[in-house]
Amino acid sequence: MKTKMFLTLTLFLACGLALFVSADNHEEEEKNVLVFPKAYKAKSVSNGGKINGIVKFEGEAPEMKKLEITKDQATCGKTDKFDEALVVGEDNALKNTIVYLMDITQGKDFDAKAKKPEIDQKNCKFTPHVQIVPVKVRLTMLNGDNVTHNVNIADININKQQTRMIKRLRINAMPKPQGPFEVKCDIHGWMRAWVAFVPHPYFAVTNEKGEFSLENVPAGTYKLGYWHETLGNNNKEPVTVEVTAGGEVKQDFTLKMKK
Amino acid sequence: MKKTSLFTICLTIFIVSWIFLRFVMGGIISAPIPNSVIAMYMGLILIAILVHVSVEDSRFTEFLRPVHETLVDDSKRTRRLVLVILIPLLMCGFSYTHIAQKTSPLGDPRQAHPKPPLELTYKDIVIDTMQDAQNPYRHYEKDDPELFKEHVDNGRRVYYQNCFYCHGDHLDGKGHFATALNPLPANFQDPGIIPNYQESFFFWRISKGGPGLPPAGTPWNTAMPIWEDFLTQEEIWDVIIFLSEYTGYTYRTFGEGH
Amino acid sequence: MRITMLTFTSLLILACVVPHPSYAQETPEGSLIGKQIYDKSCAHCHGLEGRGDGSAAENLLPRPRDFTRGLYKIRSTESGQLPTDKDLFDIITVGMPGTSMPEWETSLDVKEREEVVKYIKTFYSGFQENENPPREISLDDKIPYSQESVEIGKDLYVELGCVECHGKLGRGDGTSAPTLVDAWDFKTWPANLTENWNFRGGSDSEDIFKRFIGGIAGSPMPAFQGDTFYHFGLTAEQSEQYATLEKKVEDGEELTTEEEERAAQYFEINDTAATAALDWAEGLEMSPETLKIYNDAMKVVYEKSWHLANYVKSLSPEKRPDFAIGKHVLRSQYLQGELPALTDETWNTLDYSYYPLIGQIVVEPRQFNPSIDAVNVKSFYNDTEVAFLFSWDDKTHNTSEEENEETGKTYEDAIAIQFPVKPRKGPTDPKPYFIFGGRKPVYLWQWKASAPDTLTELTAKGINNVEEQEVQGDFAVESDYTDGRYMLWVKRSLKTDDKKDLQLDVATFVPIAFSVWDGGNGDIDTKRVISSWYSFVLEPLPSTRRFIYPPLVALLSFGLLVGLRRIVQRRNS
Repeated sequence: MKTKMFLTLTLFLACGLALFVSADNHEEEEKNVLVFPKAYKAKSVSNGGKINGIVKFEGEAPEMKKLEITKDQATCGKTDKFDEALVVGEDNALKNTIVYLMDITQGKDFDAKAKKPEIDQKNCKFTPHVQIVPVKVRLTMLNGDNVTHNVNIADININKQQTRMIKRLRINAMPKPQGPFEVKCDIHGWMRAWVAFVPHPYFAVTNEKGEFSLENVPAGTYKLGYWHETLGNNNKEPVTVEVTAGGEVKQDFTLKMKK
Repeated sequence: MKKTSLFTICLTIFIVSWIFLRFVMGGIISAPIPNSVIAMYMGLILIAILVHVSVEDSRFTEFLRPVHETLVDDSKRTRRLVLVILIPLLMCGFSYTHIAQKTSPLGDPRQAHPKPPLELTYKDIVIDTMQDAQNPYRHYEKDDPELFKEHVDNGRRVYYQNCFYCHGDHLDGKGHFATALNPLPANFQDPGIIPNYQESFFFWRISKGGPGLPPAGTPWNTAMPIWEDFLTQEEIWDVIIFLSEYTGYTYRTFGEGH
Repeated sequence: MRITMLTFTSLLILACVVPHPSYAQETPEGSLIGKQIYDKSCAHCHGLEGRGDGSAAENLLPRPRDFTRGLYKIRSTESGQLPTDKDLFDIITVGMPGTSMPEWETSLDVKEREEVVKYIKTFYSGFQENENPPREISLDDKIPYSQESVEIGKDLYVELGCVECHGKLGRGDGTSAPTLVDAWDFKTWPANLTENWNFRGGSDSEDIFKRFIGGIAGSPMPAFQGDTFYHFGLTAEQSEQYATLEKKVEDGEELTTEEEERAAQYFEINDTAATAALDWAEGLEMSPETLKIYNDAMKVVYEKSWHLANYVKSLSPEKRPDFAIGKHVLRSQYLQGELPALTDETWNTLDYSYYPLIGQIVVEPRQFNPSIDAVNVKSFYNDTEVAFLFSWDDKTHNTSEEENEETGKTYEDAIAIQFPVKPRKGPTDPKPYFIFGGRKPVYLWQWKASAPDTLTELTAKGINNVEEQEVQGDFAVESDYTDGRYMLWVKRSLKTDDKKDLQLDVATFVPIAFSVWDGGNGDIDTKRVISSWYSFVLEPLPSTRRFIYPPLVALLSFGLLVGLRRIVQRRNS
C-alpha cells in the first residue's frame, strides 16, 4: 500500500517538475533574449578597460519603409516616419543594436548622476527606439504632443493611458532583469520602441554610425553579446573578449538577415 | 350542509378540465397543447356531461333546477341581475378582442423526424442501403481500442472545428451561434436523439444538411450545412463516434427491437 | 412511513451536498482530476499545454486564452496582478458573453470547476512564485447609478481618450479600432459599448469598474492607475488653480514669485502622489504617510471611475432587444400621405425590430467571427408605397477594397435584404433555403457602401448562383454612416410590373432575411453575417367593425337571456 502511494507521489512530482521545467524553458526562449548574470555586485572600478567597436549590416540594406500615418495628422503627420526595425546608415552602420557583457558579475555601479531613462513620444514617435533601463529604476514617458497616447508593454503587463494633459508618466520599475520588450501605443498603431531592464551598466546601444562603447570594465575575460530586434542575437556563440587594466579592446560585429 | 347541486358539479368538472389542459398538461409533456386540441377535448367533455345528465328525466330536471331558479325565483334576484349584466359584457369583450386581434405570421409546421432516403450516399458515391450502412470504424471499439481512440480524437477535432459554433461546447445545442437559429440546433445530450437513430441516419443528416431534407421536412429553416462539401467520409464517421463517446449514449441498431 | 420519507429526503440532500468520494481528500490527485476534465472539455480550444492553441483555436476570435503568460482579462484584482481563484472559477462558471467560451455551470459541478482552476494555474509559474495574494479592487465606495453621475462620466470618456478606440458614441468605431492587436499579435476589436450583452466580464457597473481599475490584461485596454489622471493627488480646487497657472506659462506669461511657488507646490503634490502610486504598484513597503497620500489621491480616481462606469452602463439598453418574432415581429405601420425620409423625426415614433445575425459557416469561405450583432428595421407604408429604415452597427466604414499593412485586407461594406420570389401559399408551402435560396429562388435588394444611393435587385438560386435582374426597379434610396452606425432608407411602391419582384399586400406576412458584409472584418462574397428567415407584415388599420359588432353581440345576448326568462316564466305559470 505504502509503496503504491510512494510511487504515485513520485510519478506526480516528476510530472509536475517536467511541466515546470518545460514552462520555464519556454519562457527563456521567448522572453529573456538578453543574457544576464545570475548575480551582479557593484563595486568601485579603477583603471578599468574599454571595449568599443562598430556594428555593421552585411548585404544590401533594404530601403526603410515609410509608415502610413492613419490618424491625428495635425500632430503625427508633421514629420515622415519610417519603420525602424532595421536602420542602416552610411557605410552599412547598424543603428539600435544592443551590445553588452553577458557574464560580468562585478563591476561599476550605474552612474548616479546620469539622466533617468526617458522615452519621448513627440510627433507620435518613440525616441529613442531602443532604451536601456536599469532594474529598480522607473522609466519616464514624455508626451509633448497635444494628443493622447498609451504605453503598452504587454510582456510585463503594463498598459497605461497617457492623455494629452499628462506630460510625464512613469512606468513601474522592474525588480528583475528582463527584456527587451516591445513598447507600443495602441492609439497610434505604428509607434514602436524596445525597452530592456538590465542589472548592470555594461550595456550600450549603437548610434547612427554603428558605434558602441563600454567603459571602465574591470580587467578580465568576458562574453560579449549583441541583440538586434530584426537580426537576432548571438546568445549561442558569444564573442570572448579579454580586457586588460586601462586597455582598449576593439570588437566589431557584422550582422546579416536571418534565413 | 347543503348538498352541492348537480349543475355546480358539472360546471366545476368542466372548468377544472379546461384549467388542467391549458395550464397543467402542457407542463407535464413539456409542450403547450394547441388550442384546437383543447377545444376538441372540451367538446368531448361537454358531450359526456350532457349524456350523463340526460340519461334520466329526473336527473335532467335536477340538473336544470339551479338554472330555473336563477331565471325566475325571487330569492335569486341579485344573482340574476349580476348575470344579466356580466354575460353580455363578457360577450362584448370577447368579440372585441377577436375582431381587433393582430394578424399572426404563418406557422412553420414541419416533420421533425424526416424520412431518410433508401440509400446512404456521400456526394454521389453510394455507400450502402440506409438500413445496412455501418460505421466502418465502430468495430475498432472492440478490436483495437487504441485505434478507436484515435478516431474519437479525430472526431473531437472535427466537432470543435466545425460543429460547436451551433451545437455547443457541451453538445447540448447551445453553441454561441444557436440563439439566432430557428429551429434550434440538435441537442445531443437529449436522450431522445442519439438512442433513437442509427449511425447511418446521422451520416445522412450530417452529409446532406438542411438542403438535403425531403420536402416533407420543410418548410425548414435549418442552417445545417452540407458537410460532405467540407468533410471526408472518415471525418463524418469519426464525429459520429465522438458524439456518442462524449454523451455516453449509444446509437440505435437494427435487430434490437424498436 | 413519514420517518422513512424524511430519512430518504435527507439522504438525497446529503448525496447532493457531500462531495463525491473521489474528491474527498485534498491530495496531489486534485490537479490530476483537473487535468482529466481539462483534457476532455477545455483542451480542444485552450490546448493540451494551455497555450491557447487547441485544434479549434484558429477559427476563433477572440482567441482562446493562452494560460502560460498569466495575462487574464477578467479579474477583480488591480492592474498587473494575477486573478484570484474566484475570478477564474467565476469565468468558468458563467463563461464569456460574445465569445465561444460557454458557461460550465450545467456540465461541471462546483468541485470539478475548482479542480480545473487548480490545474489551469499550473500553466503559469507566477501563481506559485507569488507569495502575497493578489490585491483585490475595493468596491466599497460605489457611486450608484444616476443621471448626474452619467453626465460626469460622459466628460471623462472624452478626457481620458476612450473615444480613440471606442468611438464617440461607444460603438467601437474609434479611429484606432482597425489597428488594434493583442499581446499575442492577434487582431482585436474594441468593445461596442452599446451592446453590453457582449461584455466579456459582465455588464453591471461593478464589472465595468473593475475593467477600468484592473485593465484588461493582454488587450489594448489600459488600466486606470493613479497618474493616468490629470493632476493626480490634487483636490479639484487645487487642480483648477494649477491649470490656470499652467495655462499662463503656456501662453508665455510671466508668473509672479508667489505664483511660481504655488506652482512648484502643486507640482510637488502631484509628483509625490504619483510616486506613491508607483510604490504601491511595485509592491514596495510604504510608510503610513505615503500610504495615506496614496489612498487619498486614489479616492478621486475611484470616484471618477465609478462615474465613467455609470456612463458606459448608460450606453446600452437594459437587456439585449427581443428578436423580431412573436409579439416583436416587424409590423409596417400605415401612414396617410407622404412617407417619412431618412432624417424625418416621424421614424422616432416606431420601435426597431431586432434581427440577430450570425456568421455564415455553411459555404466556404466562411465567417466564424461575426462582427455585426444585428440588423434593426422599422417600416411605414401608405396606399401605394412602403419605406424601410435599416440600421446596423459597423466599427469601420469601408467603401472599397483596400490592402493595408496594419489592418490587412478589407472589403466593401454591404447588405442584402432577402425575400422569397413567390409569396407563401400557406403554412405547408416551403420557404426557399435561407441562404440565398436553392431549388426555390429568392429576390434580393443589395446595397453597397460604394454606391450609397442605389439598390440593386437580384434573383438568387443559391449562394453562388446570383443574377442581377434585367429590369431594375424604381427605388428611392438614402443612406448614412455616422459614429459606427449604418442607416439605410429604402422606398418602393407596393406593387411593381416586374413579375420577378416582391409584390406586397396588406396583412400578408412576407418572409424576410438578411446578409450583411463588414468589409473591415474581411467579409466578402460568402464570408458574411446572416440571419435565418423572419417575417414582416404591412399591418392593416384596425377594422372599424370592432366598434359595431361587440355592442350588437352584447345586445343580442341580453335579449336572449331576457327571452329565456320569459319562456321559463310562461311555462311555470
